Amino acid sequence: MNRTFWNDHDWRLIHTAPQTPTLHMALDEVLTAEVGGGRRAPTLRVWEWASPAVVIGCFQSLRNEVDADGARRHGIEVVRRISGGGAMFIEPGNTITYSVCAPLSMVEGLSFQEAYAYMDAWVITALHDLGIDAWYQPLNDIVSPLGKIAGAAQARRGGAVLHHVTMAYDIDAAKMLEVLRIGREKLSDKGTTSAAKRVDPLRSQTGLAREAVIARMVDTFRRHHDLAEDTLRPQELAAAETLARSKFASAAWTGSVP
Amino acid sequence: MHGEYKMPGGKLVVVDLDVRDGRIAQIQVSGDFFLEPYSALAAINVALTGQSISADQVTLAAAVQRTLGTQAGMYGVSFEAIAVAVRRALGHGDAA
Repeated sequence: MNRTFWNDHDWRLIHTAPQTPTLHMALDEVLTAEVGGGRRAPTLRVWEWASPAVVIGCFQSLRNEVDADGARRHGIEVVRRISGGGAMFIEPGNTITYSVCAPLSMVEGLSFQEAYAYMDAWVITALHDLGIDAWYQPLNDIVSPLGKIAGAAQARRGGAVLHHVTMAYDIDAAKMLEVLRIGREKLSDKGTTSAAKRVDPLRSQTGLAREAVIARMVDTFRRHHDLAEDTLRPQELAAAETLARSKFASAAWTGSVP
Repeated sequence: MHGEYKMPGGKLVVVDLDVRDGRIAQIQVSGDFFLEPYSALAAINVALTGQSISADQVTLAAAVQRTLGTQAGMYGVSFEAIAVAVRRALGHGDAA
């Protein structure tokens, strides 16, 4: 397989009305498979959340990561995604989340670290365009002088790589700590004593509304790599809705690592 | 029994296990690391099941490595980090 680059591909943008957490999980799996199978062009999908969620990584222990009582108390659904990495706390409007579904050839021959840096490169440019001095910090973070902005996760499936990122726009850190268990062991290597300080809202560094930040990011992507507006095909949506119910809403999957 | 180890420059490895007759009877490795393929996690659990509770770090790491071979991709985690977390779960608190 020869390596390919951003501008070797025709990119599609999907940015729809808000969808449920389980449907987002399923769309990642379905669209990555579609790109891997050559049935869909490489796709940037911007997420809009219909309801709050905790999204845990596929190798994380449900019990260890999530305070079930806290999540219930705040009406927060717990879902598990298909990539590894850490838990994220989502409320509609508090994050900017997107997925890039790309042919595996884009990360062919790269180390994991190089692959994260490469798939995040356009976002770093977008943040610079927004006036934020941001950079990729291994293993999988995007940071600024004021702290962490975003976390990425990748999963390789068939002929495709899924690279998805959640960026902190305006997170209620106190509530987050009531639903996520962030242990001291995890923070021991971070040089920080407060988990809350790791969240650096994008809002404070741009002064822009969330929608405006998204629009500017999409502009940057389009300027550098071209990007055509697209929609979910009926069969893609149907497959994702089925998978959302059968897999991502199931206790078997969410509790797969109890 | 429960053990955690944050790999320096890497991710958190968590181990929950049960011991029977001096051996690891049941084990669940978890964490915020990245593994490829997805099935590698189950393979790691299988590799560690049945190991002696007195197995040292080198032995445990080698058991995981033998099972995963060179095909698996690991990011933010290593054979050694998993072994340290297992040793901590077994009560060898000073490991690494």
